[in-house]
Amino acid sequence: MANIRSSYPALVLACVFLGGWEGYVAITDASALVLPAPSDVLNGLWIERAAIGRHALATLAVACLGFGLSVVFAFAVSIALHFSGWLRRGLMPLLVASQTVPIVALAPLMVLWFGFGLLPKLLLVILVTFFPMLVSLMAGYASLPRPFRDQLVSMGATGWAVYRRAALPSARAHFFAGLRISATYAIVATIFAEYAGARQGLGIYILSAKNNFRADLVLSAVLVSAGLTLALLAAIRGAERATGRRYQRASDA
Amino acid sequence: MLELRGLTIRTDCNTLVDDLPLDLAEGELTCLIGPSGCGKSSVVKWLAGVLAPELRVRGRAALDGRTATLPHRDIAYQPQQDTLFPWLTITENVGLGLEIRGLGRHAARDRVRGLLPSFGLQRHADAFPDQLSGGMRQRAAFLRAIVQETRVLLLDEPFSALDAVTRLAMQAWLIDRLAERPRAVLMVTHDLYEATRMADRVLVMAGGPGRIVADIPITTPRADRSEAALAEIRSTLRSMLLKDTS
Repeated sequence: MANIRSSYPALVLACVFLGGWEGYVAITDASALVLPAPSDVLNGLWIERAAIGRHALATLAVACLGFGLSVVFAFAVSIALHFSGWLRRGLMPLLVASQTVPIVALAPLMVLWFGFGLLPKLLLVILVTFFPMLVSLMAGYASLPRPFRDQLVSMGATGWAVYRRAALPSARAHFFAGLRISATYAIVATIFAEYAGARQGLGIYILSAKNNFRADLVLSAVLVSAGLTLALLAAIRGAERATGRRYQRASDA
Repeated sequence: MLELRGLTIRTDCNTLVDDLPLDLAEGELTCLIGPSGCGKSSVVKWLAGVLAPELRVRGRAALDGRTATLPHRDIAYQPQQDTLFPWLTITENVGLGLEIRGLGRHAARDRVRGLLPSFGLQRHADAFPDQLSGGMRQRAAFLRAIVQETRVLLLDEPFSALDAVTRLAMQAWLIDRLAERPRAVLMVTHDLYEATRMADRVLVMAGGPGRIVADIPITTPRADRSEAALAEIRSTLRSMLLKDTS
């Protein structure tokens, strides 16, 4: 109930926006080739539901696989950087630099280097989603208060024990924040990778709809991609709630 | 039992502690008292093996005549805050030291559960720290230090986060708990009332750089330590502390 009430303003604004859009198209009689009305978009989505569904599933599979690998990779690198100051100083600037490479330039290059298969898409998703998670994890480790670390060290804890028992749990809230940021990039990055070249996926569907002057279907696919991202976020929120009641105390305290 | 010789702690431009000796005897509670910033916490942190690595340290600690590498498994440490991990239950928190010292998880928790009643914590075994009052949390933190059964116990201003009434109750309570097993206790405080109520011996530290300026045994039995009985020793201590800060 509280959830419905808190999303009330968003619903009102969305309705106002869509109503205005629908009304504008009706009044100006704009061409559906240029600006399809929301009702046209929904209609297109319904008619093309089988094709869009198939492409959406392909996108979701690639995004989830890439995102999953990215989480594993971010953890592995964060542990390495946590324990090696040398590596941290050496690798962090390079990782920051990697984030400045425009995805527009990278996506076609990936296709050029690795073909139209799974690999270039996974690489692109990992490249885009990895960094926010790594930065969140590192910030999380650093948030461990010094007295907590001291307490463990005085008990004779090794560096790994301090990491496992204190640094890692205190990074949990940061990690999930990074995970949510990355999740919003994951679907978009996959679509972009598919746009640069693929056999299946929303990206290639959008490309072909655009080439056929079907603006309504482009927007239908966009709607579905937004839905996929929201579903991914909801899954992450669910995982966070299910796995860590005791950790919520840490962030509430 | 624990001997400390020639402890010197320096930053790049400052000497925090200069050539400090310290002896702790078994069954004795030694209070280290001094003004803020005189280096008393640094001494305790060094003994606990948790002094900031950027500080330069010279000195030697020995346990029963044998050089001790720090942190040492016979030395337990309780920092100023209670440092209970918010995501662990009281039982898990208290057993942490035992687990890290190599006891299995279940064995550690069984031993902790056996001790919770004598610390008044039996009803809070599965509670999380944020569900407990400040005094209860402090008890859990003491139990975590005491359950490790080390021969030396370091307490760095353990009552500083408590209100005045809880503090008085906890002081009396801690004395009783410590009497159950002989160990050497070094307690840092800046409260001379606390020091004179609890200690067998008071070491007065002066700052700039930190050094011990007086070693005062308190021979009055704790049961007889009325305000009147302690008045003279307090006034001596007070004048020493004031002289150093003026």
